[in-house]
Amino acid sequence: MQSGIESKAFDRFSETCSAVFTDSAAQWKGQGGKVLGYFCSAMPEEIATAAGMLPVRLRATGSDGTELSDSFLSSLNCTFPRHAFNMALKGEYDFVDAMVMFNSCDHIRRVYDHWVRQIKTPYVKIFSLPKKAEAAQIDWFRGELDQLCADLREHFGVELDDAGLAKAIKQHNLTRRLLRRLYDLRKAERPPISGAECLAVTVSSTAMAAADYNEVLEQLLEDLEGSDGLPRPRARLLVMGGELDDPRYLKEIEDQGCLVIADSLCFGSRLFWKDVDENDPDPLQALARYYVADRPSCARMFTEYDKRAAYVREMIRDFDVDGAIFERLTFCEIYGFEQYSMANDFKEWQVPLLCMDREYILGAIGQLRTRVQAFLETMEN
Amino acid sequence: MNAKQEHSVSRIREEIEMYQPVLEMLEQFPGESGHLQVPILKSLLAQHRRTIECVENDEPFLASQYTNPVEILSAMDIHWYFHLQQMFAGSGTGGGIHIAEDLEAIDDLTLPSDCCTFLRLGLYYQIAGLLPIPTAYLALTEPCDGTSGWHAAFMHHSDWRKVPVFAPDPPYHNDERAVEYYAGEMKRMVDFISEHTGKSLDMERLKQVVEETNKGYALWMEYNEVRRSSPTPHSYIMPMSCFFQINTAGAGDPDKTAWYEDMLADAERRVRDNVPEVPNQKLRFFWYDIQPFYFAEIASWLEQEWGGVIAMDMVSYCPYQLVDTSSEDSIFRGLARRAFQDGPMIHQARGTADNVIDDITRIVRDYNIDVVIFPGHVGHKDMAASASLARQVCRDLGVPFIHLGIDQADRRYMTVEEIKDKLSRFLGAMGLG
Ligand code: SF4
Ligand code: SF4
Repeated sequence: MQSGIESKAFDRFSETCSAVFTDSAAQWKGQGGKVLGYFCSAMPEEIATAAGMLPVRLRATGSDGTELSDSFLSSLNCTFPRHAFNMALKGEYDFVDAMVMFNSCDHIRRVYDHWVRQIKTPYVKIFSLPKKAEAAQIDWFRGELDQLCADLREHFGVELDDAGLAKAIKQHNLTRRLLRRLYDLRKAERPPISGAECLAVTVSSTAMAAADYNEVLEQLLEDLEGSDGLPRPRARLLVMGGELDDPRYLKEIEDQGCLVIADSLCFGSRLFWKDVDENDPDPLQALARYYVADRPSCARMFTEYDKRAAYVREMIRDFDVDGAIFERLTFCEIYGFEQYSMANDFKEWQVPLLCMDREYILGAIGQLRTRVQAFLETMEN
Repeated sequence: MNAKQEHSVSRIREEIEMYQPVLEMLEQFPGESGHLQVPILKSLLAQHRRTIECVENDEPFLASQYTNPVEILSAMDIHWYFHLQQMFAGSGTGGGIHIAEDLEAIDDLTLPSDCCTFLRLGLYYQIAGLLPIPTAYLALTEPCDGTSGWHAAFMHHSDWRKVPVFAPDPPYHNDERAVEYYAGEMKRMVDFISEHTGKSLDMERLKQVVEETNKGYALWMEYNEVRRSSPTPHSYIMPMSCFFQINTAGAGDPDKTAWYEDMLADAERRVRDNVPEVPNQKLRFFWYDIQPFYFAEIASWLEQEWGGVIAMDMVSYCPYQLVDTSSEDSIFRGLARRAFQDGPMIHQARGTADNVIDDITRIVRDYNIDVVIFPGHVGHKDMAASASLARQVCRDLGVPFIHLGIDQADRRYMTVEEIKDKLSRFLGAMGLG
């Protein structure tokens, strides 16, 4: 991705987010390390880190077709799983040693059904992720995580204990704190980093070992903290939605003269807005609580809409946002209904909102540009 | 009732007006199946009247999902209505007087058109004020993304925001830990109902109700066994009523058990005397999804044109397990199993695709199926992703498989004529004519 940031640290992130089998993963594998792959941000990366494995959130970055997966998934399925499973069938995820899935959505959970039948990953399992965030659900999820830990010990002979988990929680919390520092910079009138660039940084956090990532991110923060800000944009936008891992999508939006200043995205702020409790004597319980209840939730969490709306509203206030874009992958019902409620709330809040459906692979750019242009013009009027 | 409340029950009143004369006629001229149809209509009308009564008298009542154990609601003596079923109200299950205008109205919602049409209709009824606002509301977070997304959006409506909600959260697994977890959800649901309606649960009463529904389920399962006969005893209408009868208000009512006995006896008689409802049966179909609004048009066409019967369907094929009533714990565990593992759509869509593969395998064998029809409702994204597995299992079993790709509620998506044409070409090509 083209960027105005002159920073080796940023270049590293830019490269990392432009591939799935990254240099980091290749190096890791080269040293005999194991990789744990996953799709859904409900996967506690801390467990993989504590087990000495590299957690990699699988994207379909670089995919250019669904010719193989079309025999398994249908044209009514979201294009993210279709591209991702196509890559799996082409062997592009063969570097993954353990594949952990959840019943995240109707499309992804069926990818599991095809994966176990078609792909020879040494360990593949689906875990049950609740759709509510109450005490019983936290306990249930703790049980699921306990099972995952037991499986990893058994399959990979790794040591995985409370001390290791506590240490990993600290490492990942540091990532979260650093990313929040990065977001703080975006509150400025002239932020030093664009929305597209920022997405490259956050996406990379799901593809690199935490310790390594933290080092590079500290370097980037140093580089940015002293730098000049970007020119004042036509509008400061917030982007919200589910799966969005391609900075080029945001770049197309920003090329129309606006700046994406904040987000509520699954590869964005929702990854790090809160910390896991480091003081809980039971780290697995702390992780279960964080991933089910404490972190800003994804739209699949049934009881949490009001909190999600409050989260977006706070962002709008804290980042001085002028308007928002709701991006949704076609056929995603989870974000379809979320969009409906959000659209009603935005009307009530009197904040301009543009709802955009899209495909996983960046396309229909002309239409995207036109709609964003028109949206900016309406806002200016 | 104020004007808003009156409007909220207007569709229910219409449905009463529509069915009351049909009931009276059937009572006078029952014909061959009247004795089976009359109780269904009575049940429906009684349920509707009770809903209106609750609104009128400001009595507590619930809106609920069909999968929340009706036994608990009956034992707690709390009336409920299935708010998503309201789309049938005033239109009949065939999709009647309002459905065309309702479908046009949903096109204007700020809701993507690729979301399930049933759910979009449900939101429209809410916005249009056509759903009576209950004292409390029981939602559900399965079987599909749409269902939980819809409930979340539903709760957010300005009139419904003040209605307290409880949604049990079904686990993805089927093991004992999952049953225990869901039984806990059921108990929390009871506490929720008590808190908001002032009703309490008498375990003795619950035991009685469950024992009664156990009898109904046992008879339904026996009836499903009889459907294996060739020719199969009934057309598609009676089997479709089984679920409604067990799952509407009034669980625990011995009259419902009597209806199942009557139904079973009727089926056995038809097999014994070789007088099936559909004569000259040549093909046996398995309809593997819920039935669309316009099902009657397709199923009767299949009967007349192809000598084809729906020997089994997805709603009927829920291999219900009977509930062990020996202790409070066993009752809750049993009801939990029934609720999150057995109900239609939940049984097929929640959990891994093994459920789909197992169902097709067993039904094709047990029911001597000639063709598996996979309607492929556009709302069913998980089914869309399972179609290739269903096709593969049919290939392995050597049974023809056709994937239609319809919208169960909206015939504009694929018209009945197009469906018939697709089926004709397929059956012809398979040499099944
Ligand atoms: S965008 Fe929606 S449908 Fe697609 S994978 Fe994510 S949650 Fe599932
Ligand atoms: S019809 Fe299917 S998609 Fe629609 S609500 Fe029911 S299960 Fe969900």
